[in-house]
Amino acid sequence: MNQTAKTYKDIILNTLGTFGGSNSRQLAGAVGADRNVPPPSATELPYGGTYIPEVLLPSLQEIAAAFDHFKFDEGFLADFADTLRTFSGRPTAFTPLPRLSAEFGGAQIFLKNEGLNHTGAHKITHCIGQILLAQRLGKQRIIAETGAGQHGYATAAVCARFGLDCTVYMGKKDYERQRPNVYWMELLGTKVVAVKEGSQTLNDAVIAAFKDWVANPDSYYLLGSAVGPHPYPAMNTFFQKVVGEEIRQQCIETTGRLPDYCVACVGGGSNAMGMFFDFLDEEQVQLVGVEAGGHGTQPGEHAAKLRDGKRGIFEGYHSYFLQDGDGNIAATHSVSAGLDYCGVSPILAYLADEGRVKFETANDEAALSAVKKLAQTEGIIPALESAHAFAYAFELAAGLTKDKIVVVNASGRGEKDLFITMRHFQEENLKAYAQHLLQHQK
Amino acid sequence: MVNQRSKLPLMAHLVLGYPTLAESLRTAAQYIVAGVEILELQIPFSHPTADGPVITAACQEATRLGVSVSDCIEAIRGLHAQFPEQEIMVMSYLNRIYTFGFQEFVTEMKTIGVRHLIIPDLPVDSRAAEDLRDLTISKKSGLSNLNLVPVLAANTPDPRVEKLLAMGFDFFYLMSDFKITGSGFSLHPRLKAIIQKIRAHPSTNLPAVALTKEGHHSTNHPRIGIGFGISTPEQALKVVEDADVAIIGSALIQAQNAGKLTEYLESLRQAFNNQQFETKH
Ligand SMILES: Cc1ncc(COP(=O)(O)O)c(C=O)c1O
Repeated sequence: MNQTAKTYKDIILNTLGTFGGSNSRQLAGAVGADRNVPPPSATELPYGGTYIPEVLLPSLQEIAAAFDHFKFDEGFLADFADTLRTFSGRPTAFTPLPRLSAEFGGAQIFLKNEGLNHTGAHKITHCIGQILLAQRLGKQRIIAETGAGQHGYATAAVCARFGLDCTVYMGKKDYERQRPNVYWMELLGTKVVAVKEGSQTLNDAVIAAFKDWVANPDSYYLLGSAVGPHPYPAMNTFFQKVVGEEIRQQCIETTGRLPDYCVACVGGGSNAMGMFFDFLDEEQVQLVGVEAGGHGTQPGEHAAKLRDGKRGIFEGYHSYFLQDGDGNIAATHSVSAGLDYCGVSPILAYLADEGRVKFETANDEAALSAVKKLAQTEGIIPALESAHAFAYAFELAAGLTKDKIVVVNASGRGEKDLFITMRHFQEENLKAYAQHLLQHQK
Repeated sequence: MVNQRSKLPLMAHLVLGYPTLAESLRTAAQYIVAGVEILELQIPFSHPTADGPVITAACQEATRLGVSVSDCIEAIRGLHAQFPEQEIMVMSYLNRIYTFGFQEFVTEMKTIGVRHLIIPDLPVDSRAAEDLRDLTISKKSGLSNLNLVPVLAANTPDPRVEKLLAMGFDFFYLMSDFKITGSGFSLHPRLKAIIQKIRAHPSTNLPAVALTKEGHHSTNHPRIGIGFGISTPEQALKVVEDADVAIIGSALIQAQNAGKLTEYLESLRQAFNNQQFETKH
C-alpha cells in the first residue's frame, strides 16, 4: 500500500482521464477495499476521459494543452497566487472549535474557513485559476453552470474583474432556492439563465452549458467542480489543492502535527479534492467525503453516488452516477443545491475504489441542525453544503479520543441559504418579512 | 447525384418509444414506405446532451414511460425483419449502451444486422470507443461489420479528419453548423473542405454490400450525411448537393406532433421528384 500511496498525487495530476486514456488504465486498475461495488479490473475502462461531442474536442484540447503548459509556468503560478491573495483573501483562516470539541468530549475539531473567500466559498479559487487561463487563451466569453450559485457568483466576479462576458446556467429550482446568488451574479453583470429542462437542478445546468458551448465553441466553459471531461477534474483539483496545502501548514503551526481526519462535503468534489489532495500520500491522514443523504434512501431522495451509484459515462466523464438499472440518469435530492447532483469526480471514484477516501452521508435534517450548532456554539454560519461535513464530523469526533485532530472544510458561508434556513428555523418571521416587503412596495 | 434513385436521399431520425413504442414503430414504417434511404432509430436517454428541445422532450417522454434498451432492441429486430432491405442506423447516448454492456449491445446489433451506431457523446477514437470497436471486428474477415459513425463539425481539424478516414469509417455525420439539433438552418462554409477531403479518400476497408445498395456509389467512398436544423424540403435539397443524405429529426417530430406528418413527408418527396426531373433535363 505504501508504494502505491506515494504515487496518488502523480497519478492524479499526470494520468487522469487523458484523452485516449491507455496510460491511465492503472487509475482504475488497483484493487479497492471495503466497498460494496466490486473494483474495476485492470482491463476495464479507466475513470475520467473525454466523452463529449466531437465538436467540443478542439476546445477541450486547447484548454488541456494550456493547462498542461501553465501548470508549470512560474509567471502563471505567481499570477494565480497573487490573485488569490489580493482578490480572494487567501490564505483563509484555520479556526479551532474549542467549545464544540469540549461539548462532544472527543477529538479536537478545527475548521478551515473557505467561506471567508471573496464571494463566500472555495469556488473562487478554481475560477481564478481558470479565468487566468482563459485570459491567456484570448477568450472573450465565459460560460458556466451553477448549483448553489457559489460557482456562478465566483465566475461572475472574476469575469467582471477581467472584463469578460459571462453567461451562467442554473436549474430553475436552484435559481429559486438560491435567489440571493442570482441577484449577486446579475449585479456583477452576468446573464443568468434559469434552465427549465429535467429536474431543473445542477445536472440540467451542466447540460445547458454544454449545449451553449456546442453552439459557441469559441467561448470558454468555466466548469465548476472536479467533474466533467478532461482536463476539468485534474485542473480544478490542481487549482484547489492550495486548500490542503494551507491546512498542512496551519495545522502544524497550531498543533505541531498533521490532522488525523480531514472531512469535506462532496457534491462534484472540488472542495473535497482541494482539501484532500495534499494529504493523499500520507496514510495517517484519514480522508472522509460526506455526501447528501437527503430525506431518504430511495432513488430520487438523496445524492449519495458513492453509496448507491453505478459506473456510468455522462457529461463527459466515466465515474459513479445515480441512475436507474437501464442507463438513465436518476433524479437527486438534497436540501443543499450544491450537493444535489447525480455524478461525482472521477478522481474521487478512483480514490473510493482504492479505499483511500471513505464516504459517509449526512441527511437534510442533520445538515440543518449542524448549521445551527456551529452558528450558536462557535459563531460561524456554514453553507448548507459544508454543514453536511460538519454533521458527520461531529459524530466522528464524539467517538474519538481527545488527542485526535479532526479538520472540517467549511467550503462556504451560509448567507446564500437565508431563505432556506430561515424557512426552517423561523418560518413565521420569513412570512412576515415577505409580507412587509410586499406592502412596503405599494 | 440524386437522379436514378427510387429512394429519397434522407436519413429520417426517430425516437423509439415516442409517443409510445407502438406508435413510434408505425411512424418508422411510414418513413420506410415514404422511401427514406436511411432510418435512424434513437434509443432514448433521459438526458440527451447534444439534442435540442424537440428531441429532448421526446426522449424524456419516452424514458418517463420506461422504454428499456431491451424494448428498443426488440423493436429494431422487428422492424428489420419486416423491412429487411431498409438501411437502419441506431443512435443512442453512451451511458445507455455502456450500462447495457458493450459486448451484449454489439452482439445484438450484429445479430439483427445493424451496420452503423451513432453515439454523439463518444469520440470514435476514445478509449471507450476502442473497447466498443474491438467488439465489432469480425474475427473471420478482420473487417468491421458494425461501424461507429463519427459526428464531425466544421471545427474538426484536417489532420483529425484524415486520421478518422484512415481508421476506415464508412459513414460520416456532419453537423451543419455550430448548434444543437432543431435550431435553425445554416451550413458552415468550412464543411465543403471536409466533404472534399472525405470524397477524395478511397476507402479500402468498406464492406461492399453497404455500398452497392441502390447502385448508389460505384466507388468505395465513405458516405456523408449532414444534419442539425434541417426542416424544409429546400434545405434538404441544398444539403444533398454535397452530402449523400440530409438528416432530419426535430422537424419530423414537430410535424408528427402537429398531426401533419403525411403532408410533410409528401412535401419532401415532391421536392426530390422535381429535382430529379430538373437534373435529368
Ligand atoms: C459552499 C459549497 N460547498 C460545496 C459545494 C459542492 O461542490 P464540490 O463538491 O465541487 O465542492 C458547493 C457547490 O455549489 C458549494 O457552493
